[in-house]
Amino acid sequence: MNRAETLQHLAWLCRNGRAVAAPTVEASGWAELDAVLPGGGWQTGTIVELMPAAIGIGELRLVLPTLARITRAERYVTLIAPPYVPFAPALAQHGVRLERLLVVQAQRSEDILWAAEQSLRCRSFGAVLAWPTAVRDREIRRLQLAAEAGGSTGFLYRSVDAAREASPAALRLKLHKAESSELQIEVVKCRGGRSGMSVQVAAPCSGCA
Amino acid sequence: MLWLCIALSQLPLEALRSEETDQPLVVTACEGSARWIVCANPAAEHARLKADMNYTVALALCPAVQKLERSPAAETAALERLAAWAYQFSSTVIPGAVPLDFRQARSNALWLEIGGSLKLFGGFRNFIAALERELELLHYSYQLGIGPTLEGAALLARAGIRVVVPSPSALQLRIRNLPIAHLALAPQVAGALHTSGVRTIGLLLELPRDAVIRRFGVEVGNFLDRLTGVIADPRPVFRLPARYAARFDFEFDVRSSEALLFPLRRMLHEFAGFLRARDTGVQHFTITFAHRDAAGTSLDIGLSLADRDANRFLALVRERLEHLELPAPTIGLALAADRFAMPAALQADLAHGSLQQNEELAHTIDRITARLGAQHVHALRQIADHRPEASWTAAPLQAARDSPQFPDRPLWLLQEPKPLQLSVMPQIVSGPERIEGGWWDAGDLQRDYYIVHLSNGADLWVYRDLGEHGGWYLHGFWS
Repeated sequence: MNRAETLQHLAWLCRNGRAVAAPTVEASGWAELDAVLPGGGWQTGTIVELMPAAIGIGELRLVLPTLARITRAERYVTLIAPPYVPFAPALAQHGVRLERLLVVQAQRSEDILWAAEQSLRCRSFGAVLAWPTAVRDREIRRLQLAAEAGGSTGFLYRSVDAAREASPAALRLKLHKAESSELQIEVVKCRGGRSGMSVQVAAPCSGCA
Repeated sequence: MLWLCIALSQLPLEALRSEETDQPLVVTACEGSARWIVCANPAAEHARLKADMNYTVALALCPAVQKLERSPAAETAALERLAAWAYQFSSTVIPGAVPLDFRQARSNALWLEIGGSLKLFGGFRNFIAALERELELLHYSYQLGIGPTLEGAALLARAGIRVVVPSPSALQLRIRNLPIAHLALAPQVAGALHTSGVRTIGLLLELPRDAVIRRFGVEVGNFLDRLTGVIADPRPVFRLPARYAARFDFEFDVRSSEALLFPLRRMLHEFAGFLRARDTGVQHFTITFAHRDAAGTSLDIGLSLADRDANRFLALVRERLEHLELPAPTIGLALAADRFAMPAALQADLAHGSLQQNEELAHTIDRITARLGAQHVHALRQIADHRPEASWTAAPLQAARDSPQFPDRPLWLLQEPKPLQLSVMPQIVSGPERIEGGWWDAGDLQRDYYIVHLSNGADLWVYRDLGEHGGWYLHGFWS
């Protein structure tokens, strides 16, 4: 452990005592991204904010390897208030086991956040993807606690404008499409790592997926 | 036989209202042209109101007092619910007959034969602790008495003697010095005994039986024989019904759903007791809200796993109730269930390690479903159909199964294809993919799908309609 990780671990122990299992890191499935994330992947028990510049640039593709891995490991994934129909044939093509994927449709902001908290808190869910209409710092902290209790990772999709504001989320990624048709990921904030980095993942366009 | 009596002296009040209130509240009954207090809540007792007081006097003492009309039917319904609940502790449960005379209404009681149950619960102390733990959740004022005869146990309960009295001879010694008032005798008999100077039960029992019968009637003599165990005391035993149907009628209108939670909590705990008695659980039950001038509102509660936990039931009902618009004030509740299933937690395959997690998952999904509605919580399933909108469907979580294989598909699909005005043809990444078919179910279509790349980086799934309408449509996003 380097110094930053040790400090982070200590801070985490102070908050949780020994009651909860220490967070584990799970590879995102994108080597370039894992290289800049502390520990080399998504940390369980955290909230990750994904802020795509537009819809359809690969913002969902980014987490699909994770979803595929989680659903194949007999855990569940929830999509809460997705903006469009999550298309079953495509999800299956990417290796997601559909019988372990739950879709929750909700309109009101408080319902979306409540459902996210409920599923994050449940240990059967490995990841929760939510598209909240509006979210405040206090609510992100609540989700953070739920994620720690359930040992799952919460991915919050927010508009790209949110990148200008501060947020208590552990990891904040701004997504846009690079010239080379790769997905450009800008690390806006990274607890226990360096922010301001930018990586490209060879990804998510059609045909090459 | 060893009988446990649960004496419910406040049942006339508590059968009508399950929550406590700081306002003086009494239950009254009419006799001729006079109205009498049957029982009073603690706030009313504090204002020096008590049972058998004339209501006009009570109004003079405490003008703020509120009154409810006594309802023997509600008391019967409450005793029946309690009997079903009590069955978890004993297979011989006797709900006492509700006295029609309001002066005896405070002698409502329920008996359990516990001689056979003590061993099962690990001794007397454990048994009483388990029973009281459950009983307190129902919010009744109760007293317990344990004796060798039904009337003996009831007498000990009313006198507040919490000692096991196992034999008739021990009972005679115990009750010797108790005042006559603790006996559930008709009021005129009690009055006559009082005037003849018979103040204690011991004195009454020492009187020659012939004289007692001549002076006070055969019924009093019979009662004393049943009390002391000289003659048998056969009563109809409660039988556990095959279906559960419980009612709770109020004598007033309940307007807020928050106030409905008190009676619901009691009913759900009683229901859970019934389920433990039957050693089973439910996946589905119905709560009906009765209204005065409108048809009842039914609430179907479904669970993904069979369960019998009253608190989880209550959480689900509360969630549904928050989103339910009741058309009128509620005057009664009914709870019904007719299909039962073993709770998953108790099923034989306890060896299965993730069972606890499965339950947690089921409870989480139930909570989300209860709040957002079943149609908004679902899994996805593929269907072997080439038309994109027909190649998926929402499905219950268990039913989703991976099936057919399709060419590369976008992750987001639009609910309805959106017409596109294309001034400049965007960059085509791949296509066309011809998708045809559907004439057999009137969803006739003929389309050429392309993947196009926009300057802002998005990849879209668009098609050109080759049918009569023509034109370009947006149907999905690669994401």
